[in-house]
Parts: sequence; C-alpha cells; structure tokens
Amino acid sequence: MNILLTLVSPLSLVNETLLRVGRAIGAVAIALMVLAILVQVFFRYILNNALPWPDEAARFCMMWMTGLMAPTAFRRGGFVAIDMLLYSLPRTIAGVINLILLSLSFIVLVVAVQIGWGEVTGFGGRFTTASLYVPLSFDFTQWLRVPRSWMMASLLVGVILLLSVNIELILRTLVKLFGGEDRLPIIEAASIGGSE
Amino acid sequence: MLIWFLPLFLIFLLVGLPVFFGLLAAPGILLFLNGQEKDITLLYRNVYNGMDSFPLMAIPFFMLAGELMNKGGITIRLVEFAQALMGHLRGGLAHVNVLSSMLFAGLSGSAVADTSALGSMLIPAMEKQGYSRKFAAAITAASSVIGPIIPPSGIMIIYAYVMGESVAALFLAGIVPGIMVGLGLMLMVKFMADKYDFPVASRKYTWPERGQASLKAFFPLMTPVIILGGILVGVFTPTEAAAVAVAYALIIGFFVLRTLTLKDIPDILTRAGLTSSVVMLLVGAAMAFKTVVSLSHAPEQLAQFILSLSENPLILLFLINILLFVVGMFLDAGPAIIILGPILGPIFISLGVDPIHFAIIMSVNLTVGLATPPMGLVLFVASAVSGERVEAIARAILPFLAVEVVVIFLITYIPAISMTIPRLTGFAN
Amino acid sequence: ADYKLRATANSNENDEDYDGLVVFKNYVEAASNGAIEVELFIGTQLCSNGAECLQGVADGTVDIYISTSGGASGIFPYVQVLDLPYLMADDRIAEQVLSGDFTRTMRDMALEDSGDAIRLMTIGNTGGWRNFANTKRRVAEPADMEGLKIRTVVADLPQELVKAMGASPTPIPWPELFTSFQTGVVEGSKNGITDIMGMKFPDAGLQYLTLDGHAYMGALWWMSNETFMEMPEDMRRVVVDGFYALQQATFASPKRKSIQAYEDFVAGGGDLYVPTPEQKEAFKVSAAPVYDWFKANVTRGDVIFEALTTAVAEAEVEVNAARAADLN
Ligand code: NA
Ligand code: NA
Repeated sequence: MNILLTLVSPLSLVNETLLRVGRAIGAVAIALMVLAILVQVFFRYILNNALPWPDEAARFCMMWMTGLMAPTAFRRGGFVAIDMLLYSLPRTIAGVINLILLSLSFIVLVVAVQIGWGEVTGFGGRFTTASLYVPLSFDFTQWLRVPRSWMMASLLVGVILLLSVNIELILRTLVKLFGGEDRLPIIEAASIGGSE
Repeated sequence: MLIWFLPLFLIFLLVGLPVFFGLLAAPGILLFLNGQEKDITLLYRNVYNGMDSFPLMAIPFFMLAGELMNKGGITIRLVEFAQALMGHLRGGLAHVNVLSSMLFAGLSGSAVADTSALGSMLIPAMEKQGYSRKFAAAITAASSVIGPIIPPSGIMIIYAYVMGESVAALFLAGIVPGIMVGLGLMLMVKFMADKYDFPVASRKYTWPERGQASLKAFFPLMTPVIILGGILVGVFTPTEAAAVAVAYALIIGFFVLRTLTLKDIPDILTRAGLTSSVVMLLVGAAMAFKTVVSLSHAPEQLAQFILSLSENPLILLFLINILLFVVGMFLDAGPAIIILGPILGPIFISLGVDPIHFAIIMSVNLTVGLATPPMGLVLFVASAVSGERVEAIARAILPFLAVEVVVIFLITYIPAISMTIPRLTGFAN
Repeated sequence: ADYKLRATANSNENDEDYDGLVVFKNYVEAASNGAIEVELFIGTQLCSNGAECLQGVADGTVDIYISTSGGASGIFPYVQVLDLPYLMADDRIAEQVLSGDFTRTMRDMALEDSGDAIRLMTIGNTGGWRNFANTKRRVAEPADMEGLKIRTVVADLPQELVKAMGASPTPIPWPELFTSFQTGVVEGSKNGITDIMGMKFPDAGLQYLTLDGHAYMGALWWMSNETFMEMPEDMRRVVVDGFYALQQATFASPKRKSIQAYEDFVAGGGDLYVPTPEQKEAFKVSAAPVYDWFKANVTRGDVIFEALTTAVAEAEVEVNAARAADLN
C-alpha cells in the first residue's frame, strides 16, 4: 500500500495543478464565448453588419472549455451515474465493482486517446475552419487560416486529462480497498449539476 | 448482433458506470466483437461533432446567467415578491415556494438550480413556521421541476438540438404546461393547508406594499420578457438570447442591485463551466451512441415492436407516458431525452402527433422524473439543502407527484395546451 | 454480398440526393448480381457535415457521401468554383460540363490533396439553381438588394457574393433559418425552390423570389478511394456506371420536383419574378468582383476557374451545334 500511496501523491499533485490551469483557461473561454456572441448581436442588430467569425470562435471556446473543465468534474465525482447499487453494497464489494468500472472507463479513454491523436494529426485536422484567422506577423499583414486540428485538439487534451484522472482514481480506489483512505490527499467534492 | 449494445448499456448503467462512459463502452465493445473496429473511430468522431454545435451553446450561457442572478441576490427579491402576493394565505410559505419557482423558472433553465437556490432560503423559513422539514423539502423539489418547463430550459435546448426542432417553438410550448404544474401544486397546497391547518406566513400586504415589492423584483422579472421578447421580435436567436441574458444579469448585478463584485466572477465562471462541460460531454457521447443506434437498425425494430402493441396513438401515448415515467425514475432528463428522443420521436410523428407536442410530452414527463424516487436529481439536491433523508422527502412528495401526473395526462391528451402559443405566434403549424 | 458500401447523405428522403441514391443502389445491386450491397444512411446518423463526413470517407467508415461545394470547401476550397455566379447559362450547359472532363480535373485535384484518399465520382444536382429570395420586396435588379440581410453559410465565397450585391451576409444555422425569417433576424436567402418549399419558408414570410439562377447547385459525390480501388475492375465498372445513373437521376429529379414547388409558391401568394436579359446582365456585372476575388484568394482557384470556363465554352459550342443539327 505504501507503494500505492507514493504513486498517488505525486499524480494527485500533477492532476491538481493541470486541472487548476484547465479551469482557469476554461473560465476565460466561457467569458469569451459570451463576448463573441454579444459582439455578433451588436454588429448584426445595431450595425446591420453580421460578422462571419463569432459563431465559430465561440464554438472554438466552447470545445476548449469542455476539454479543459470536464476532467475536473470527473475527478470530483461529478459525472452522472446511477450509484444506487454501489451505495447499497458492502464497502469491499462496492470497492471491487468500482475498480472494474474504472478499468472499463480506462479502456474507453485509452482507445479515445489513440483515436483522438489520429484525428488531430490526420486528414480531418487538415480541414480549415471556415472563418477563423490568426495574424502571422506583428504588423497584421499576414494571416493564417486556423486549421480544424486546433479545435479538434480540445477533445484530445480532454481525454488525456480524463485518462490521467482515471489512473489517479484507480490508485485511490486501490488504496481505499487496503484501508488507507485517511492517508489520501483530499479532493474537493463536486456540486450536483446537470442540464436539468 | 450489434443490437446487443442496448442491453449491455443498461447493465453498465445499473451497475453504476458513469453515463458518459456507458454510452461509449457498450457500443464500442459490440462494434469490436462484430468486427467493426473501424467504426469505433466513428464513435469518437461523433462525440466531438455532437458537441461542436451553435444551439448547444445556450446551455453554458443559461447556466452562467442563472449563477449570476443567484449570486446577485435576485432570488431573494423574487421570494419577497411572491410573499407579498401570497404570504397571507393559509399555507402561505408553501404557496410562496411554488410561486417563487414559477418566477425563477423564467430566469433559469434548471430544476437543480431552482431547488438549491430557493430551497436553501425557503426550507429553513418554512421549518421555523412549523412545517415539517420533509414537507418543506418535498414542496421545494416538486415545484422546482417547473424550472425546465417554463422557458428558458436546458432540457428543451437539448431536445431541439438532438431532434432538429426549433428551440423557440419548444420554449413557447412550455409556458402553459409550466403554469399548469404550478397552479396544480397550489391547489394541492390549498387542499392540504385546509386539512392540516397550515400557518399563514404574514399579514395581508397592502397594494402599495405589493407595488413596492414588485418594483424591487422588476429587473429580475424582466429577464424572461427580454429572452422571449427578443426571440419573438427577431432581435436574436435562442443562443444569442442566452448570451444577452448573461449580459443582463451582469448589468443588474453590478449596476442596478450592486450585489455582484468583480471578485465573484471567476468563481461563477468556473462553476458554470464545470457543470456545462459535463453536460456537453454527455450530449457528445449520446450523439455517438445515436450513431450506433442507426448502424444497428434498432429504431426500425423498436418501431415495429411498438406498433405491434397498438396502432392507436392515444393508447401508445399512454404507454409512452408510463415508459417515460419509469425511465425518469432512474435516469436524468437530459441523458434520457438524448437516448430515447431519436428512437421514439419519429414513430409518434409518423402517427400524426405534432413534433412540438411530442417534445413537450417527453420533456415534461422526464422533468417530473427528476423529482421521482429512487433516482431523482432534485430529490438529492433537496436532501442536500435541507439535511432531510431522501426517503422521507420521497414519501412526502407523493401527493404533489400525483398532481404532476395528472398534468402530464392533460398535456398528452389535449395538444392545445402546449400548441396554442406556438401556433398563435407562428412558430408551429 | 462481397462488397458492402455504406452511403450517406445529410438530407432527407424527399431530397433529390435520396432519389439519386435509390437509383444507384438499385443499379449497382442488380448489375453486380448481388455482389455489391449498398446500405443507405439518410440524415445525420453517421456524420452531420462536410468536414465530418469527408473525414469518414477518408478513413473508410463512410464509403459514399454527397456534399455540396460549401461542405467540401474546408479541405478542397476550389470546389467553390461551382458557386461562382452566372458562369453556366442553363441546365443543358451545366449537364454537358459536369458530364465531361471538368469533373475529372476536379477529381485529380481532390485525390492529390487528400493523399489519394477521397475520390470524386461524379457531380450531379441538388435542388436546381440558387435564386435570391427575400421577405421584403421584389428584387428586379441589383440595386433592390441594397441592405437586405441575406442568410449565407459560413464560407467566404457566398459572403463575398452577397456583399458584391450590396446586401449584408448573415450566417445563420439552417435549422434556425425558419424562425429567423419570421422574426426578421435575416430577410433573405439564396436557395433552390425545393429547399424553400421543403422548409416551408414562405410561411415565415419568404414571399419574393427572383429567378436569377445565380449558381448551379452542384452535388459532389465522393467515394473512399481505397474502397473503390480495392474492388476488381468489373465491380468498379458497375460502380462507375451506377454513378452515371445516379447523376442522370439527380439531373432529372429537381426539374420534376420544382414544378409543384413553384406552383405551391405562387398559390401561397408568393411573388415570382423572372429578370429580363438586361437585368440579368446587370446582376452579372455586379457579381464580377467575385471572380477576381476567387482567383486571387482561393487555393488553386485560378486553375479550376480556367478549367470551368474552358469547359463551359466547349459545352456551349457542342450544345449549340447539337441544337442546330436538331432544328432542321
Ligand atoms: Na426555465
Ligand atoms: Na420551489
């Protein structure tokens, strides 16, 4: 168990740090989404001149918000699940089942990371976005059309972070099974949420 | 062969695998066993594509608006306004609870937000007046389902997205059903108040006092007017309306009520982002799931099965009511809509049920499911807010659920309840 | 079946894409004696837009896919040449052009750009011709377009065109378009008549239609090159002939469908206006800046522009010769 604990603590710290950065960027992203759409409403309704980019720029931010923030929710136990059975079973059995479930999600995420990498670096990533450009030079004379891969990377980063969290959760469940729960670094609890 | 992913998914779900992973693991495993490894890529791709959508953006926006309004002290003004109108009645605070939920529903698209915002304020207040804690929690939970029925509504945004309907039409169709649920609950409160001699909350307010309270609640109460008015008059699309609601909440929070500070903002953004990111992933995974539903030709087989039960839409609708009610007991409304909408919707539309009407039947039915035991999201929130056990709330809520079931049947069999407003405004045929 | 082809179209079963696919499926399955099976997925069940579906074609999760030029422009920007206004005069010219080497030129370019992954099989039609329609007034000449908010997809070329006409391009997602007309978020669009009637846009106030026919609504039929090339030559021949039958079906279907659509439009009180040759010439003049924009800004735009204009010139000669021969 000591080996497990020495593995959990640094991984926990790494995840904690990465996810804090993720949350910060995600918070900025959601603010930018609002801003982009408000700019669109203003230009179209007040100036009668709709802009091509706000829709796509806002979606760009939304995808990154999701990729960077969902792992925090996963780590804090905020993913929707029917946990009735797990609560009604004895601790040890529940722990074993939980371990099996986490291994299943581990496999899902490993496959997702592999496919995600292929998607971002493959053919689909070579499409361009329809309306997003970034300046290539400081005098704004050269512009690069943003490739779709920049946007697709959001989900790849998301599943990589989810995988890292998943590994931590597996280790934590093992530690709990061996009775070392009180020695684990604490994770903040999720608030209940959903589209409902 | 491939169709076995449906029972496998159900097993995963019941054992406790998070819905997101279940939606991917079950079809993924079956595709693999079926020798269709290539199609697993399709699964991943549709998670991404399912999320990459403009209409869905309304969900984080309305969440953000809700967070801002709550933090900005808007909730308390709504409650005070409700109290000025109904506090003097027998069972006053129970009525206030229901009315506040109806008012809150016009600002927020979420029953969870409703329960936690109003519950944390009203449950202790009701207890102080002598209501039992479980009753207070139960009426809070029961009335909070109005949140996603009266627009705006996260559930209806998801339904519209998945089924290709107009968000605006669904919003408009939800107004009357939402009010009916509220009035129905008030009738039940009145009945119980007379029977059990509930306390009144306050003396009767004078009309000038009521005017004062409504003035204080004026700016928050303008939110639904701006959202719906803006959509109806054509200033903006529903997604844009959601962004405008955020801006409006910021303006009242900072400049009118002056209850927000810049310090609050990062936390509010983070909370809204965290909740919506989970919903987004879920929608994405459900769209991927839907792809495999198509590949397996499950809808055709299910449609055949359903039509073999009966060809009378009225009987089938009754069966669907029951099915949805049972599903709602175990699954949250969002995931349930994404999974079942594409399977059930086309069958009923082909039987002549209006798509908007069916959307409302499904949304209201599953929303009420949020307050049904054993797996009711708002029951859990009400339990967390009140400190009362879920089982106790679940028993106390039964009379209110009975009212809501009656409303569901009325909505199902009288299309005019939901269709009149969208028809009059030209948003439905 | 030895070969299973998975074909998808993001439209619905009332669309000419579906007509084409039914003809294709029927021909290929019969002519291959059942060796090839075609499975149809209509709608967004497998993928929901050009980028997603073409990605599927590239990796073989989708074998056959029909995109509009807008849908493929994210990876093959030059296909937008079909959206250039007023280059092809009528159906007869367009069909002649698209049946010839122009399509092969475009196929080679796309194969090159996709690393031999995506093969353009044929170009048919989806919805006839694009026309300007609006909720405000009759548009008889370019000046009438001034200030109208016209819905376009998020792509450069249609936006440039709308701007060139003095109108204001407004990107609105297709499912939001009905309510956007109704509420005045946008005041016009550029679509074919079958789409306009299929979506019941006149009910939302879209009552003024000008038959300027500014662009042929080309339907690009793509196939996974790997799937195709892995078939033996006799099967490939069946597939190629199947696409020929499909092309013919999609040429014919919109013509048949639009009759009822136009009748319904007028019966519903719609104002249908056919511009005079002079007015049409004026539209063409206002649109002219778009050609230069296309050649200067779109990757390999000059090459494809040249290919199309050459093909059109040849087609005009051939069609005129054929017509002359038939007249007497
Ligand atoms: Na609401
Ligand atoms: Na309530």
